[in-house]
Amino acid sequence: VAQIHPPHYYQRRDDLRSSVMEALQEMMGELEDLHKSINDQAVQHIHAGEIILTYALSKTVELFLKAAAAKKRRFQVIVCEGAPHFGGHAMAKSLAEAGIDTTVIHDAATYAIMARVNKVLLPAHAVLANGGLIAPSGSNMVALAAKQNSVPVVALAGMFKLCPLYPHEGQDTLNDLISPSSVSDYSLMGSPTMCEVDFVNPVHDYIPPQLIDLYVTNIGGFQPSYIY
Amino acid sequence: RIAAKIQMDHQQSDVAERDAIVDDLRRHLSAPFGPQSSDADDGDGGRAPSTSSAHSGRSSIPLPVAAVRVLLGVIRRSRAETMMGLQADLRGAADVMLDFARRGGPVDAEGGRRYLLLNRSNIALSSGCELFLKYVTRASLETPEFTECRSQVLERGTRFAELSTAARDRIARVGSPFVRDGAVVLTHGRSRVVEAVLLRAALVERRRFRVVVLEGRPDAGGAKCAKTYAEAGIPTTVVLDSAMGYVMEGVDLVLVGAEGVVENGGTVNKVGTFALGMVAKELGVPVYVAAESYKFTRLYPLNNRDLPGSGGTEGGTGGCTTLRFADTLSWSASGAGDGDDGGKNDGLGEHVVDLPGSVTIENPPVDFTPAKYITLLFTDLGVLTPSAVSDELIRLYQ
Repeated sequence: VAQIHPPHYYQRRDDLRSSVMEALQEMMGELEDLHKSINDQAVQHIHAGEIILTYALSKTVELFLKAAAAKKRRFQVIVCEGAPHFGGHAMAKSLAEAGIDTTVIHDAATYAIMARVNKVLLPAHAVLANGGLIAPSGSNMVALAAKQNSVPVVALAGMFKLCPLYPHEGQDTLNDLISPSSVSDYSLMGSPTMCEVDFVNPVHDYIPPQLIDLYVTNIGGFQPSYIY
Repeated sequence: RIAAKIQMDHQQSDVAERDAIVDDLRRHLSAPFGPQSSDADDGDGGRAPSTSSAHSGRSSIPLPVAAVRVLLGVIRRSRAETMMGLQADLRGAADVMLDFARRGGPVDAEGGRRYLLLNRSNIALSSGCELFLKYVTRASLETPEFTECRSQVLERGTRFAELSTAARDRIARVGSPFVRDGAVVLTHGRSRVVEAVLLRAALVERRRFRVVVLEGRPDAGGAKCAKTYAEAGIPTTVVLDSAMGYVMEGVDLVLVGAEGVVENGGTVNKVGTFALGMVAKELGVPVYVAAESYKFTRLYPLNNRDLPGSGGTEGGTGGCTTLRFADTLSWSASGAGDGDDGGKNDGLGEHVVDLPGSVTIENPPVDFTPAKYITLLFTDLGVLTPSAVSDELIRLYQ
């Protein structure tokens, strides 16, 4: 049998199973306490009277905002509806039920409203090795508008979302193009003109590191340049 | 009298040692370099371009490698009996090399001063020496026994040359994925590391991309490496240095090497890199710097004048101040170079612009590019952001 692994792979280790179990327990503990660790930092980032803008639906952001509200901070939230899935609607409903002053806007109004916003909170699908962010499609537009208006952009990400990849493919990094059914109804596709139309429906956006100001993770806040 | 004689002996041996060091440095710098010919020096000063692989021995040796070889020679010749004595000898040798590199050689027959390093800065030389000396210090702390330590240091130093080639391979491996299909790469200056990256992308990973090369006045570095790329089958375009702004809008990424990487993540590289960084940033083009980790140096320049030995004037620099200005447009228009002998310098003389002595010529060989213009660094320690450099420096020098 050819030895394709380094020699230490073939050595006998009696404590191997317990070491692996321990490491897995640690990882599970981190994942279970994830939201608690992130939410502990909520009051540091959300201050009274602030207007926070967020995009579409994210459990992490929702719990973060609710944790700040639970500590009696009075603030307003503006939620972009997040077409074509409109996750923002469910997000706004959930936040309103927690007693937070919420407004829903459509995505195109983001730039117009940005001058009145104090902070942008973005969820993360993944954080890349150069400090870039993979976030729901439409977040890049929010980040660009924020940069233009000098509004800080804070991304919430658990450490497990960090990945050692670089955005070699630009916007296509870790991205998927999904069915246009959410953009356009199937019944409209019958006409020959519509068949000529190409529907691009990406799931994620790649946001370059210079548009993000801070990553809030379960082990603290980091600058994008420190993600390496 | 005996004391005076001893002192004279010391001085003579000092002078002899100094000459030996300088000779060694010159010899090592002109030796061909590569995996097949690590210590052979047939002194052909080979700048023969490689036609086959990216790693065949050619062109001038990396400065830090030459410096380390000279220091190894110093260790072998040294009569010190303790590590402290050896370190003192090494430090003296490093100072001699740097001093020589800065001031240049003796004035030769035509009255011109022979500069050892020509268009290369002495930052790489000093960083190589510093790293080696640091290594020697650390080795002496770990292995207190003198002969054992000395042989360990010698062995490590000899391996350093091979480490250097391995470093280039590693950099090519981490850097080539950034060159995508259909990309247009702009490069400046002649860096073997950049060549390794691009040749790997083209030949090993079989990507299809184009290279735009800035010609690289005054040593035509760019034009020389354009040959290498063309021979590897990469579509290559050469433009004037001043055309960097013009071509930038069609460029997807900028890839340059470095003579040195400073503490804040900025780089010291062939003059023109600073402007290139600014133009690229303005037009949204990422700038990647490919450099081995032994080029990391503990300098913190605040601006271009802050570089050690900066400026291209006679005062204190490794630069060559003789620039010749020729109107090559009118020279080609006059039909030169079409003659039977294919003479390259036919009649160039009358197209050379003669300047009166009152005109000062400044020819800095390198400039400093601040970290904010650099997107990522490709090093043998992996891909780093500029802010990661200071962390790595601390680790290297610890």
